[in-house]
Amino acid sequence: MTAPKRRWRMSRRGFLIGVGVSGAGLVLGVTLAPKARLQIAAVLDSGASQPASVAGGPDAWFEITPDNQVTFYATKVEMGQGIHTALAQIAAEELEISWDQLTVKQATTNIGPQDANGTSGSMSVSSLYKPLREASATMREMLRAEAARKLGVNPTDLQIIDGVVALKSDPTKQLTYGQIVQGVAKWDVPKEAPALKSPDQFRYIGKPIPRVDFLAKLTGQAIYGYDARLPNMLYGAIARPPTIGATLKSANAGDAQAQPGVVTVVNDGNFAGVVAETRLQAYAGLAAMQLEWNEGQVWQQADIEARITVGQGSGVTIQEQGDADGQLRGAILTAEFRTPIAVHAHLEAQAALAEVQADSARVWVSTQFPSFVRTDVANAIGLKPEQVEVIPTFLGGGFGRKFGVDVAVEAARLAKASGRPVHVGWSRTEDMRHGYFRPPTHHILKGIVEGGRIKAIEHQLSSGHISSDFLPRYLSVFMGGDFGAWRGAMVPYTIPNIKTVAWSNELPIPTGWWRGLGLLPNNFAVESFIDELAHSANIDPLQFRLAQLPDGERGPRYKAVLEKVAELSNWNSPAAAGRGRGLAVCTDAGTMVAHVAEVAVEGNAIRVLNFWSAVDPGLAINPDGIKAQTEGSIVMGLSSTLIEELTVKDGQISASNFDGYPLITMKDIPQIEVAVLSNGDVPHGMGEPAIGPVAAAVANAVFALTGKRLRQLPLKLV
Amino acid sequence: MQLTINEKIYEVPESPARPLLWVLRDELGLTGTKVGCAAGFCGACTVHLDGKAVRSCLTSLAAVAGQPIRTIEGLAQLLPDGSLMLHPVQQAFLNAQVPQCSWCMSGQMMTAAAFLAATPAPSADQIVEAMTKNYCRCGCYVRIRTAVAQAAELLAADQEGVV
Repeated sequence: MTAPKRRWRMSRRGFLIGVGVSGAGLVLGVTLAPKARLQIAAVLDSGASQPASVAGGPDAWFEITPDNQVTFYATKVEMGQGIHTALAQIAAEELEISWDQLTVKQATTNIGPQDANGTSGSMSVSSLYKPLREASATMREMLRAEAARKLGVNPTDLQIIDGVVALKSDPTKQLTYGQIVQGVAKWDVPKEAPALKSPDQFRYIGKPIPRVDFLAKLTGQAIYGYDARLPNMLYGAIARPPTIGATLKSANAGDAQAQPGVVTVVNDGNFAGVVAETRLQAYAGLAAMQLEWNEGQVWQQADIEARITVGQGSGVTIQEQGDADGQLRGAILTAEFRTPIAVHAHLEAQAALAEVQADSARVWVSTQFPSFVRTDVANAIGLKPEQVEVIPTFLGGGFGRKFGVDVAVEAARLAKASGRPVHVGWSRTEDMRHGYFRPPTHHILKGIVEGGRIKAIEHQLSSGHISSDFLPRYLSVFMGGDFGAWRGAMVPYTIPNIKTVAWSNELPIPTGWWRGLGLLPNNFAVESFIDELAHSANIDPLQFRLAQLPDGERGPRYKAVLEKVAELSNWNSPAAAGRGRGLAVCTDAGTMVAHVAEVAVEGNAIRVLNFWSAVDPGLAINPDGIKAQTEGSIVMGLSSTLIEELTVKDGQISASNFDGYPLITMKDIPQIEVAVLSNGDVPHGMGEPAIGPVAAAVANAVFALTGKRLRQLPLKLV
Repeated sequence: MQLTINEKIYEVPESPARPLLWVLRDELGLTGTKVGCAAGFCGACTVHLDGKAVRSCLTSLAAVAGQPIRTIEGLAQLLPDGSLMLHPVQQAFLNAQVPQCSWCMSGQMMTAAAFLAATPAPSADQIVEAMTKNYCRCGCYVRIRTAVAQAAELLAADQEGVV
C-alpha cells in the first residue's frame, strides 16, 4: 500500500519534510548524501499497522507501532562488525526507549533511509553518530510536543521514560509513543535540532551491549545471501575463464539442455550459464557446454612482481617535508619489503537471488554496496534503477570483496532468461580465482638517524590498483594516483625530512579493496623500518617512537596507546628466555592502535604466543564490539603475516580451494589481550585499523629474538 | 529415500551420491548448515550423524542411510510451552559473544557439541585439538576457545541437575 504524501521544503534549515497517510507509524529519517544533510520525513499512521508499508516513506529510519515498539531501519549492512547493534545503541540513546522496545531491521533500497556510501572504510559509526543522534532526538521531541497537545499541557511539563511520556507532576497522566502516533494529521518539526544528551547521561552509548543479531545466528535462522530462497526458484552456474584475462569466443549448448534438471541454457555473447532445478544440476549442465575462449598472455608470478616494483608505472609524491633527497646521503640505512597477493576468503562466497518481472526486479544479496547493485542490475537487465529493489541480507564476511556486484548481475541475467527466480552462489574455486585481490606491494625505505632521532626518511612504494578501478576516473586524476594504496604509507612521526612516493601499475589480475586497503602492507614496511632504525642506533623501539611522536592531537594519543601496550606486555622487563617481543603502531580512520607480539621459534616455524593491543577509537560506542574487531583484525592479520600468499602460475591463480590457500586456525592463535582507551566525544573507525600493525609487530619480535630481519610476507625463517 | 533430521522424517529423491550438504540446504531448505569450501577443509557445513560430527559436504546420502542427522536447527530444544531452550554450547557462545559474521558458527557449534558429548571434561589442549580444523575468517578463535570451555561447565551443571 503506497501512501499519498505531501512534501515541502523548510528553507531555513534546508530540511525536507514529508507527511502523508500510510499504514505505518511515525517515521523519520536522515539522508546521508552528499554531506550527511539532515532530512526529515514524517509519515503518519492512519490506524492500521503494516510494517511493510514503510515503503511509503523511503527516508525513514524509524517506525513506531501502537504496541509501543520501535523498528529501526539500519542502512549499514551487518557483515560481522556489529554495526546493527552499535547504531541501535546510538538511536535508542536519544529516543529514550528501553532496549527491548527496539527491533533492528535492514533497510533495503526501497524501505528505510537511503545510503549512498555503502558499508566500508570503517566509517559507519563515525559518519552516522551525529546525524543519527539528531534524528533520534528530533523524533523524541516531536513525540513530546504531540503528547503535550493531546494532554493539553506544556511540553516542558512532560518527562519521558522508556517510551512513555508522562506529566512530571502527575505521572499517571501518560501516553506511550505508540499511543501518541495514533491519528496525528500533521507533525511539527522542531526548528532547531534538540539538545543532545551529555555523556554522563548515556545509558546505551559506551556500554558493552550484547549483539542484536546473535540469537538468530546461533540458532541457524539468520538469512544470508547464500540462504535466500523463493518458491519456484532455480539455481544457476556461470562459465568462468580458464586463464587470467580470457574472454568467451564461442559457446555452444552441447548436451547441456539434455542434462537432468536443466531448465535454461544461456548463451549471450560474452556470458554463458546454465539454470537448473538444483545447484549440482546447474554445474553438471555447465560442464556439458562446449566453450571456446580467447586466451592471451600466459601470466606467471614473475611477470606480476616485475610490474610491482618501485620505479615501474606511474609515481606520485604523496608526502614531502624538508629535504629528504638532500639529507639521505652518506651512511644511510636502506631496506626493501614485499607483500604478496591476498584473497579475502570470506567463508560465505558471493551469492545472490534475483526475481525479475517485466517492469521490476528484486535481488537478495550479500553486499556492502546496495546502491551499486541496484544500478548495475538495472543496467544489465534493461530496467531503471528505481524499478530494482536490492534487499541486503546478512553477510558471511565482507572484508571489501562484497563491493563487487558481479553475482547479483549474474543472478538477474539468468532470472530474466529463465523467467523464474534464480540463485547464484559461487563455489570456493570461483571465489578464489574470479574475484579481485589485495594487490602485491614492493617498498624501498631509506633513513638516517642522528642524535637518537630520525633525521630523514624516504618511503617509496609500489602497488597494484585498489581504489582507481572502482571509483570515477576523475577522482584518480584529481588525487594524482591510487589513494587506496596509500593508506598507511605516510610516515606519521615528527621528522624534519620526509618523502613518500607511491608508484602504481596495472596488473593482469583485478585488484581492489581488501580490509584496510594498503594499510597492512604499508605499515609492515614502515613500522619494520622504524624498528630497524631504532636498533641501528641502539635505542629501545618504544623509546625511539616516543622521542618523535606525531604532531598535533595524534601525539598524545599515540603516546597513550604506546604506553598502555607497553604496560600490558611488560615491555620494560626483558622477555622470557627463548621469546622475543616486537612493537608496532598505526593510525587509521581516526583510530590509534599499538600492538606488541611475543614470539618463539620452533625449528623454522614462528610461533606467536602472546599478543597485546591498545586501541584508542575515540569515543567507544560498544567496548566489547571494539575488542571483538581488534581480536578479529589481529587473527586475520596473523594469517596474512604467517601463512597467506596467492600466486599466479601458468596463466591462472594457483590455488583453487583452501588446500592451496590455507587460513590460520585455532592452534596457531596466541593469547590476545586488548585494552580499549575510550577517548573524547567523537567515535572513530574500528573495522580495519587494528589489522595495520600486526605484521610489523611480529616481524619486529622475530628480529628481537633471532636477529634476523624478515622483510617479506608471509614471514619465513627459511 | 527417507532421512531423519532433527527427529523429523523427510522424503528425498533416491540418488545416493548426492552430498548431504546440498540436500539440506537446497532441497530441504535447512540453510542453517553453511557452505564454505564444499571440499572438507573449513568445517562450516558440520552436522551430526548419529551423534558424531561430520562434514556434510563430504557425506553422501548413501553414507547416512538409516542414521539420525542433527543440524543447527535441531540443536536447541523446543520445550512443551513453546519456548526454546538453547543447547549449552549455544548458550556459551551467546554468553561469550563469540560470533562476528557467524557464517562458520553452525559448524563450530556442531563440532563443539559432538566433541563435548564425547569428552565432557576437556583440557585446554583437547579443545584446541577438537576445534582447530574449523576455519573462522572473522577471527573469533579466542572467544570460541573460551566458550567451548564454558559450555563444558554448563553441560556438567546440566548433568548434575543444577540449572
